[in-house]
Amino acid sequence: MSERMSWVPEGVDTGKPSAARLYDYLLGGGHNFAADRMLAEKFLQAQPNARTIARLNRAFLRRAVLFMMDNGIRQFLDLGSGIPTVGNVHEIAQKADPEAHVVYVDFEEVAVAHSELILEQDPRATIIQEDMTKPDAVLKAAGESGLLDFTQPVGLLTVGVFHFVPPQADPQSIVAAYRDAVPAGSYLAFSQFTQDLQPEEMAGVVEVMKKSQNPMFPRTKTEIEGLFHGFELVEPGIVPSPLWHPEGTNTDDPDKAGIYAAVGRKA
Amino acid sequence: MELPELAARWMNALTATAYIPLSHAEIEQVLLDSLVELPESPESVANRLVSLHATGPDSLRATIEVLSPTFELPLLARLSSAYAQAMRMDAFDQQEQIKVAIVRAKQRVERTLKVSQARFREVFESAALGIVITDLGGRCVEANDTLAEIVGLESGADLNDRDLTDFYHPDDLAALGAQYRKVREGHLPRFRDQRKLIRADGEPVWVYLAVSLLRDADGEPTHHVTMVEDISELHLLQRSLDHQLLHDSLTGLSNRQHFVTQVERRAANDPITLYHLGLDAFSVVNNGLGHETGDKLLKIVAARLGKLAGEKKAVLARIGGDEFAMMTVSDNVTTTIEEIQEVLGEPTFVDDHGIALSASIGVVDRPPVFATTAELMRCANAALRQAKARGKRQWALHDPHDDARRRGRYALAASMPGAWEHGELEIVYAPVHDLETREVLGAVARLHWDDLSHNDTMALADSTGLSLPIGRWLLREACAQAARWVQEFGDRAPTLHIALGALQSRDEDLVADVKRALDETGLPPERLRISLDISSVLAGDDNAVVLHDSGIVTALDGFHGGHDELAVLTEVQVRSVITRAPAPSPDSPLYQAMRDLIATVHSFGVRFGVDEVHTLEDAEYWRSAGADAVIGLLPALSADEVTELLTAASQPPEAS
Ligand SMILES: C[S@@+](CC[C@H](N)C(=O)[O-])C[C@H]1O[C@@H](n2cnc3c(N)ncnc32)[C@H](O)[C@@H]1O
Repeated sequence: MSERMSWVPEGVDTGKPSAARLYDYLLGGGHNFAADRMLAEKFLQAQPNARTIARLNRAFLRRAVLFMMDNGIRQFLDLGSGIPTVGNVHEIAQKADPEAHVVYVDFEEVAVAHSELILEQDPRATIIQEDMTKPDAVLKAAGESGLLDFTQPVGLLTVGVFHFVPPQADPQSIVAAYRDAVPAGSYLAFSQFTQDLQPEEMAGVVEVMKKSQNPMFPRTKTEIEGLFHGFELVEPGIVPSPLWHPEGTNTDDPDKAGIYAAVGRKA
Repeated sequence: MELPELAARWMNALTATAYIPLSHAEIEQVLLDSLVELPESPESVANRLVSLHATGPDSLRATIEVLSPTFELPLLARLSSAYAQAMRMDAFDQQEQIKVAIVRAKQRVERTLKVSQARFREVFESAALGIVITDLGGRCVEANDTLAEIVGLESGADLNDRDLTDFYHPDDLAALGAQYRKVREGHLPRFRDQRKLIRADGEPVWVYLAVSLLRDADGEPTHHVTMVEDISELHLLQRSLDHQLLHDSLTGLSNRQHFVTQVERRAANDPITLYHLGLDAFSVVNNGLGHETGDKLLKIVAARLGKLAGEKKAVLARIGGDEFAMMTVSDNVTTTIEEIQEVLGEPTFVDDHGIALSASIGVVDRPPVFATTAELMRCANAALRQAKARGKRQWALHDPHDDARRRGRYALAASMPGAWEHGELEIVYAPVHDLETREVLGAVARLHWDDLSHNDTMALADSTGLSLPIGRWLLREACAQAARWVQEFGDRAPTLHIALGALQSRDEDLVADVKRALDETGLPPERLRISLDISSVLAGDDNAVVLHDSGIVTALDGFHGGHDELAVLTEVQVRSVITRAPAPSPDSPLYQAMRDLIATVHSFGVRFGVDEVHTLEDAEYWRSAGADAVIGLLPALSADEVTELLTAASQPPEAS
């Protein structure tokens, strides 16, 4: 392509599909491009239930935030927050208490720029562009934001993001670093894809995502238990996402939820 | 159905199709408000649905499914189109946002990433919207192919160095120029407008425009970005959102809604003919060979009819499970019918099963221009029912006289909701007699309204969408009454029989409803017999199985002795079948056939009951043919009358 497009911003590659926009598409959002939608279609071929899985994961996020609010948490660190779509953490939290503070973290440019636009008017919420697998940098920036008070319990959210963290990145020590930075009484909400449910479909998804910018790493229940070291799991423990504190009677098939969800409290 | 109950259903249906970030109670409240508002303003309800984010691929379908029994079609059509409109605006807004986010991302990102020009161009080129970057003088710097297509040019490059204003309607120039200026001078962040563009061939095309500004790193304006969406109808049909709204996902044919709009467009000016096709015995395929085979078969049928429709320049749609509709212009009906049967009759092999197909066809030929499309569709449907009643591979032309009679019925149907509300619908109890012992086996609870029979009342209720609520009410009331009898008269209380209408028989809430009725009234389950309309079982519904598994005795009503029905009896465990037929007199040639049929039913361990047997003579015929029980020998009684009878019978003579 010889001719330069004079108005195209440099440094942003929207031609590569991103997990953030893929997820937005699965949730029915419009913040995505042809490349994202193409990847999404492949994803859907491997896991036809993907839209429901996304919806259930997003719904778990909401219930987890409200659960933490009920237990006195008023500040959240949302790691891998994604494109602001429906039911963002600050909206959920601030609806329950307008004083609630939220720091979002994501490493994807467009998600971050978009979050900035959304949060422009909100002094109690901000977004940090950082890799959440680097807790030191994240915690430093979060501290500098002035929005989080690390002497008070914090709600840590790692929802739908750890399946992007490869085993080599030592997920256990990543969680541990965040855990050590917050006081007792803090909570961790966690969800990620697992091969325990629908192993064949999961294998297909891993294959589809392998060559993308965001390869995926499902984990077994036992592996996830290991990540909660230093936390006490809140009932009912690690369960398919729709079974975690369902609202009313759950009608979604837990065996097709794709994702395990859990919340732990730092002792 | 009461609005709160409807709102709850709606909530359940919607939350399965999209993530709505509110508690169930909150969603239900919003939907309840919407239900109240719906008759007045479907448009604001549509907007609310979209702002709630009830925008999953299936959200609209789920909504229409839940609301259609309660609200009129025209209202729902308004809701659908306003919804589509709101979705478009929403999608447009989101594309705007993400575009701004990209520009922001670039300005903020310090890291130098390698720009992939090729990839970016791919995005630019594959956008569903036309996009053009103009310099501040209005000259096109860069435009994508989508825009070129909208204005009737070959490629985006053809627009380079041209004035975008060339494509504006002369009348719009001044107004648009002023708007662009306001954006450039920062008085407006962006503007949106609906305008007509003039294509290169001189044809007008309706578009949405969204115009915003690009600034350089110092914040100085450099270019305008104009996004253009083609909203002319033809184009809309091709868009996927609309495609989903207007097409059947299995066969890709138009759906009913789409078909209706096409008929609407043509009916006013052209001599049209409507064909309403119902595949014969399709349920046999579905039940016998499974739904997957059924689906494959439907696709094959769709393809064959599609080819025929193509040749005849006809409009074709799939408008129901096994029903298709076709519209032709200036047509010869008998030829077309033959052609349809011919393409369907070609031997069809699906998964190694050879299947012979035929259709029953209802025809409305050259209707008067003042007939509404809804009326036409109804007439075609009525004609199809007539054709079906005559057997397979039949067709029937819509007969206007017959329709007048039906309309009388519709008037009656219209007054039914009021009658029900005012307690004018009564439940009466008809005795079931054992033909062998002549004992009363139980009582069938039936509706009674004016001088209409139960079946007529139920059929009317079906046509108003009331049959479900009325059926539920009947179930509960009758169980309560039967429970009172059991309490008072113990073993001598009649066993309650309830015959469900077709709709209720396949209602997915049926099993829960039955259990709730038993729980709440305390009627012991063994005192209840539920008879389901046999069509539900033939259609593959599993209510009969689940009821049986829950320990409730079931019967199948509407048995005709068809092969498919007998097949079902080998699979689904029921206590009896119930039929309505002329009594087989022993000298009639059908007598032996009936005996054989009843013997076959017995061989499956199933009893044979007959409804509408009014004379002892007929009862005797049935007994000799082998039937077990009859309904109708004695007139149905009100609950009070039954109580009186039971009381009288239980009073020992000496005690009085
Ligand atoms: C599937 S989305 C989840 C969004 C949101 N948490 C939810 O559950 O609804 C995952 C997000 O995590 C981000 N992400 C993945 N790996 C990350 C990392 N190492 N650091 C920061 N963000 C990451 C992706 O960019 C994406 O936006």
